[in-house]
Amino acid sequence: MLVKDYMTRHPSMAEPSMSVVDAQRYMWENGIRHLPVVGDGKRLVGLVTRQTLLVDPGRLGSLDVWEISRYLSGLALKDVMIKARDVITAEQDTAIEEAARVMVENRIGCLPVVEEDIVIGIISDTDLLTQLMEMMATRVPGVRVTIRMPDVKGELGKLVGAISAQGWGILACGGVPAPKQPETWEAVVKIRDVPRDDVVAVLAQVEGQEIVDVREI
Amino acid sequence: MQQPRDIPVLSVENLAISYETRRGDVRAVRDVSFEIQRGEAHSIVGESGCGKSTVAFGIVNFLGRNGKIVGGRILFQGRDLVGHSQEELRKLRGDRIAMVYQDPMQALNPSMRIGDQMAEVLIVHRGMSKEDARDRCIHMLEQVHMPDPANVMRRYPHQLSGGQQQRVVIAMALLNDPALLIMDEPTTALDVTVEATVLDLVAELQTKFDTAIMYISHNLGVVARVSDNVGVMYAGELVERATVANVYLRPGHPYTLGLMHCVPRLGMDKADSFLYPIRGRVPSPSNLPPGCVFEPRCDFGRPICRQKCPELREVEPAHWARCHFAEQVLAGELELSPDLVPDLEGLARRGDGAETVLSVEHARTYYEAPSKQLIGGEKQYVKAVDDVSVAARKGQTLGIVGESGCGKSTLVKTVIGLETPTGGDLEFMGMDISMPVSKRDLDLIKDMQMVFQNPDSTLNPSFSVGSQIGRPLRRFKTVPRNQVRAEVIRLLSMMRLGENYYDRLPRQLSGGEKQRVGIARAIAGRPELVLCDEPVSALDVSVQAAVLNLLLEVQKEMGTTMAFIAHDLSVVRFFCDTIAVMYLGQIVEFGPAEAIYAPPYHPYTEALLSAVPIPDPRMEQKHIRLSGAVPSALNPPSGCRFHTRCPRRHLLPDGGKICELEVPPWRHATDEHRIFCHIPLEDLRKMDKVVTIEEETHAG
Repeated sequence: MLVKDYMTRHPSMAEPSMSVVDAQRYMWENGIRHLPVVGDGKRLVGLVTRQTLLVDPGRLGSLDVWEISRYLSGLALKDVMIKARDVITAEQDTAIEEAARVMVENRIGCLPVVEEDIVIGIISDTDLLTQLMEMMATRVPGVRVTIRMPDVKGELGKLVGAISAQGWGILACGGVPAPKQPETWEAVVKIRDVPRDDVVAVLAQVEGQEIVDVREI
Repeated sequence: MQQPRDIPVLSVENLAISYETRRGDVRAVRDVSFEIQRGEAHSIVGESGCGKSTVAFGIVNFLGRNGKIVGGRILFQGRDLVGHSQEELRKLRGDRIAMVYQDPMQALNPSMRIGDQMAEVLIVHRGMSKEDARDRCIHMLEQVHMPDPANVMRRYPHQLSGGQQQRVVIAMALLNDPALLIMDEPTTALDVTVEATVLDLVAELQTKFDTAIMYISHNLGVVARVSDNVGVMYAGELVERATVANVYLRPGHPYTLGLMHCVPRLGMDKADSFLYPIRGRVPSPSNLPPGCVFEPRCDFGRPICRQKCPELREVEPAHWARCHFAEQVLAGELELSPDLVPDLEGLARRGDGAETVLSVEHARTYYEAPSKQLIGGEKQYVKAVDDVSVAARKGQTLGIVGESGCGKSTLVKTVIGLETPTGGDLEFMGMDISMPVSKRDLDLIKDMQMVFQNPDSTLNPSFSVGSQIGRPLRRFKTVPRNQVRAEVIRLLSMMRLGENYYDRLPRQLSGGEKQRVGIARAIAGRPELVLCDEPVSALDVSVQAAVLNLLLEVQKEMGTTMAFIAHDLSVVRFFCDTIAVMYLGQIVEFGPAEAIYAPPYHPYTEALLSAVPIPDPRMEQKHIRLSGAVPSALNPPSGCRFHTRCPRRHLLPDGGKICELEVPPWRHATDEHRIFCHIPLEDLRKMDKVVTIEEETHAG
């Protein structure tokens, strides 16, 4: 669960001299949202996102249509990109949740993954969502149960113990502090190849815990 | 894990490439389209001269001064590479495309140490410090499983074996972490065992680095092993494109169908199956047929094929073929014509109790090696053939297989007298033949002839075909002088070459035709024994089948005994009655063909079989890889010579200590089948089959 496992290797990249118009079309045609700008040897010099390519309307207000196209045609990526020193990057051995924290705190959608300034990949919010999806074993059918439990050591162990006592397999398991409920936790487990009613029957027996939600996915 | 939202790493659309020549433009590549996704291996397969490499060179813009892209687009990660200047291309592509060539020696500078060459890439392109670059290179050499990388860094290219050189080249290509790696026949120059390890490496790198690989090869077996998707090229066009399984099992183009039936698969035997050669030859790109390019060679040609060039169209989901009748081919409704398949009824069978024609007992051929000391010092010998015993029966074929440098060719040269044996008994039809060819009498020379690997270097370029075939006829007085011409023409027609070939010069012939002339010359004197040293390995697959069929016909008609050297185990299995497996100057296993390919195996035979690439995705092979290269014959390992690489040594007590100390005994599995190994036969018998095939008989 490190960045290197979920990043996109060999991302599309651009050179600083690429014109903004070309870059705009390139990104649009290929569905690219983040474009690292690299110099020789894939050294990171900047980053272009769709937002960066938006032209400040205040500036355009003073220009007429002909001026706009002239202004745009002279513009290269190196003029509009976020410069490398301002680009927040990740390393391939960064933990995936750490990458998520950086992205959330800075309100950004991607981190170029670098190794000594050289771009080796890119990790975006989509990659993190993919990871969440995989963590919850979304693609495998099973019974997904949400259980509320007190925030006490050993509670999750009790739950897991009850499941494994039945000889069932846990596909996915996660826990979070329950929203708006101090001192309680919510755990989500996904169990494979068992009827829903059996799961409910067994988990209802676990002392001090409460089933919040059951569904078959 | 990745969603298909990705743009393809490489997407080639309607690519056309021409070479300018004095006679106008030659359209070497026309209308080629394919795409390669991230982490995918896509192969381009085809015979020589069909434009595979030209496509690769087009992608890296390496076409030379007279080559140019005349149409289509090459999109690398969505950006067009066509129509830019070198400098723009360099920026656009950066170091994200790397290429590995067939001959690793050409990619390495012979005067620089490996370490310096590799580090140069990083120091120049990335401005790394020397120490960092060195560490990174060592790390990369470890990734390609190079033994002792720090030591290799200090060596010069010539101090490495071919397989190691190729690893260095692959490591160099990967230093910049390319998004696309183009490999142009990277294993063609390597031995099967080394090839197998390089192919394993390619597959591993593909998953580890997510690199898209474009793999060019003429070898259908190699392609089946490495790639996910295959494009079949013929005469500059892509004729079929699909997944490996579809192309191999359900071909949709007659050419692909033909290719699949002209290579012997491991397990096929001349007794119960045929090879279907493809008639004719690949048309020259300057003189293409008007309609479908394959029409002149196609068994299913209809009038429309001559008039209209078919489009590459999707005949079923994700399966494209360029044929008017692709649906019928796909459904297996069209049968290959048996015109070119020889009738082999009456070919001698093993077990007929035929007399022994050639018998070699304890043969030794040593080459003297200069002593390392300036004055005196003991003489050293390269024991190229050391205590070898084989026999060939009349009208049958003896196959000799082994890695390069194991002494196959020396053995054959000793038999024919090009080398003088150091010791042992060599008998041919009861006569002693342990003398060089210059001391043999004419009858003996006449009765023993040879077909060489490379027909180019064995035909005199300044004499016509007729006079070269006629020469042995005159010399051996096979026919009266006034009938020589008629006899030559008879031989030519036996080789399926017309009378008009009589006056041609070797340079006017294709490779396959030259080899046929070579065979005609060898059989002209009606010899008892023909020694074939890799007679088909320099030929294209479609031609190979024709030559093999011819040899079989010759054998049937003249009752010739043959010795057949090859490194391709499927060909040997198909062609030979008895097989000798050689390792480092010694025979390690000897027996009937079918016995060699089933347990009990010698561990070396087992490893060879597991390494041979099979052009059939259904076949399951055991994964056995030999480490290291063949040791030097100057100083062979003690005891069993194979002990340094043997994967089965652990079966013996003490981790096989006995293998180092004692020469193994011959173990007789049957009267005819013997194995040179310390491991008892019962244990050897317990081994699983190396190759398991889903039950089905092909091409019968």
